[in-house]
Amino acid sequence: MFPGLEKCPRSLLVCEKSSFEHEKSGLNNHVSKHYFNHKVSLVIPECGSPPPQLASVIQTFSKYFLVKNLPVYEFLEEDFLENVVRHGGLYALSYKTLIDQDNTIALLPNSQLILSVDKDTYEQLGLEGKASQYSHKCPMRYVVTVDLTDKSMAPGGKRYQRVLSSLKDRLPLKSDFLLARHRSDGDRVLQSLLSRYHWKDYSPVVSTHTLRDLSCPSLQSKDLHGDQCSCDPHSFLEWLGAVSNGVSCDNAATDFLSTYVCPEPKTAISQVLHCAVSGFLLPEDIYSLLQELRRYFDEPKFTSWLSLTVHGFMDSPVSWGDREHGFHKGGENFYNVVLFKNQDYWLQMGTGSNDKCPP
Amino acid sequence: MAMFMDLNVSYTTDKKRLQGLIEKAAHRNYILCCFSYVKLIRLPIKVLNRLTIVATDPSHFRPTAVYKAYDLVAVFPKTEKLFHAACMTFDVDIICVAVSEKLPFYFKRSPVNGAIERGVFFELSYTPAIRDSTMRRYTIANAVSLMETCKGKNVIVTSGAERPLELRGPYDIANLGLLFGLSEQDGKAAVSTNCRAVHLHGETRKTALGIIHTMKKDQPLSEGQREVDDPPSKRPKIELS
Repeated sequence: MFPGLEKCPRSLLVCEKSSFEHEKSGLNNHVSKHYFNHKVSLVIPECGSPPPQLASVIQTFSKYFLVKNLPVYEFLEEDFLENVVRHGGLYALSYKTLIDQDNTIALLPNSQLILSVDKDTYEQLGLEGKASQYSHKCPMRYVVTVDLTDKSMAPGGKRYQRVLSSLKDRLPLKSDFLLARHRSDGDRVLQSLLSRYHWKDYSPVVSTHTLRDLSCPSLQSKDLHGDQCSCDPHSFLEWLGAVSNGVSCDNAATDFLSTYVCPEPKTAISQVLHCAVSGFLLPEDIYSLLQELRRYFDEPKFTSWLSLTVHGFMDSPVSWGDREHGFHKGGENFYNVVLFKNQDYWLQMGTGSNDKCPP
Repeated sequence: MAMFMDLNVSYTTDKKRLQGLIEKAAHRNYILCCFSYVKLIRLPIKVLNRLTIVATDPSHFRPTAVYKAYDLVAVFPKTEKLFHAACMTFDVDIICVAVSEKLPFYFKRSPVNGAIERGVFFELSYTPAIRDSTMRRYTIANAVSLMETCKGKNVIVTSGAERPLELRGPYDIANLGLLFGLSEQDGKAAVSTNCRAVHLHGETRKTALGIIHTMKKDQPLSEGQREVDDPPSKRPKIELS
C-alpha cells in the first residue's frame, strides 16, 4: 500500500581508505574542513585505561567561550574585523538555535559569516542570499553568506555599510554564541569584545568507561567494504553506536529492548575502552589527537585497530567546508576514522537527509 | 521550515487543565489555539483563538462580525453539498475532515482543487486515533482518501487534544503523516509551513487585500474642545476611522 513506508529518511555514508604514510592522504583536509564538532568518541579494544600520552593530549584541547546575547554586527566592528576575523582561525556558532526553525549564525575560520535565516527574517534583513537547497515547495529558509575578507567588505565601503546597517539598524540579530580559537590566550581584542557581554569559558568535558567481556568486530584494513574478512561499514558503525550508548549486543532471550548483535567476523575480548570528549571542539585539536593515536601502535598492542568518531553539531548551518547542512528528522554529520597497526586508516563520513554528499 | 504549530487544542473551563495543555505544548515547541496564558519556555508561546463551526445545514454558516474577532475560523461540513460550498465560497481558513466516523461523502477533485487555489487548508486531527482503535482506522482511511484527491497539498495535522497527555511532539506527527500518505517533506510541512500559511490566511481575513490593516484611534479631549471655535468646514473629520 505504501512502498515509501519501508524506507527511512535518506542518509549517506562515504567510505575511503588510505594510509598516513601516503603523501596524498586527504585526512587533514577532511578534518580541518569539518569546522563545528561537539563530541569526539574514542573506542580502543583490549585497553583498560587511557594511555597517559593520550590523556595529556586531551587535556590540552582548547577552551571555548559561551557569550550571551551577542549582536551579530559585533563581528563587523572595525577593530574586531581587522585584528581578529581577518587573521582567520576564529570559530563561532549560535548556541541553542535550531537549524530547521530558528535563525542560525556561524562564523567560519576562513572569515565567512553564514546567516541561515527564516523567510520573514530574510525579507526584513534585506541582504542578498540564496534559498536553502533543501526547500520543499516554496523556500522557507535562506542562507546569506558574507565573505569578510573580500575587498568590498573593507570598513567604509558601500557593501560593508549596507551589511552593517542591516545587522545594526534594520534587524538587529542577536544570539548566544559559542566562540573558540586555537591558542586564544592573550588575544586583546577578543577579550575586549567578551568583556562587553556576559560570558563564561568552558573546557571540554571528558568521560571514560571500560566495557568488559564483549564481542568486538575483527577488521582488516584491505577490506573496506566488508566483503570477506571485515564486517560492512553500516554494521560496524551500528556496533560503535551500541558501545558508545552502553547498549549490550548479547541479544539475550530476556532482552526485548535490544536485538543488536556484534557483526561477523568477531572476536571475544576482555575489555574495550570508551572515551568521550564533548564541548566546542576545534579541528586543530582533533588533528593533534589523531597524530597521537598513530603513535599508539608504536608499542606492541593486542588490538590491530582503534576507532575515533567525531560528531558535528546537529544544528550547524554547514557540514564540511561551506556545504549546507539541514535538519529534516535528524541532523547527523559525523566522520569515523579507523586506525590500523600498519598506519592504514579508513575514513567513513556520514550525513543525513538534508545534506549534500560528504567530500 | 517554519516553527511548529498546533492549531487545534480544545478549550476547557478547567483552568488547571488548560494551563497544563499550554505548558505541555510550549515544552514541545508549539504555538496553539486556545485562550489566555503565556509562559516562556524556549520562545514565548503564542496563543490564538479559533472558532470551529460544525455545519449540517447551509444556514449554520453565516459570516458575521463575530467571526472577525477570531484569529482562525474553521468549518466542519457534514454533507457533500456543504463541503462543496465550504471549499468554493465560504470565507474560512480551515476545513475539518472527519476522523472519528466513516466519511459521509467522497472527496471530489474539483472542490478540493478549488479550496487549494483559495488557500484554504484541510485539517486532520490525530487525538481520536490515540484514544480508540476503531477511530484510528477511520482516521487513516479518511486521510488516505483525502490524499488521493489533494496529492498532499494544503493539509495540516493538528491534535484536538483535551488533555496534556494527548499532545505529541512535532517530529512524531511528521512521521504520522507518512501513514496518512503524505511524503516526508509534506509531513513536516503539515505541522510547520502549512500551519504558518493558515495563520497568515487568518490574519488577512481581517485586512483589506491582505495589506491594509485598520485600527481604531483614540482622540484626546483637547482637540474636541478646540473644535467649537472653528467653522464647520475647518473642523477635522475624525469620527471616521
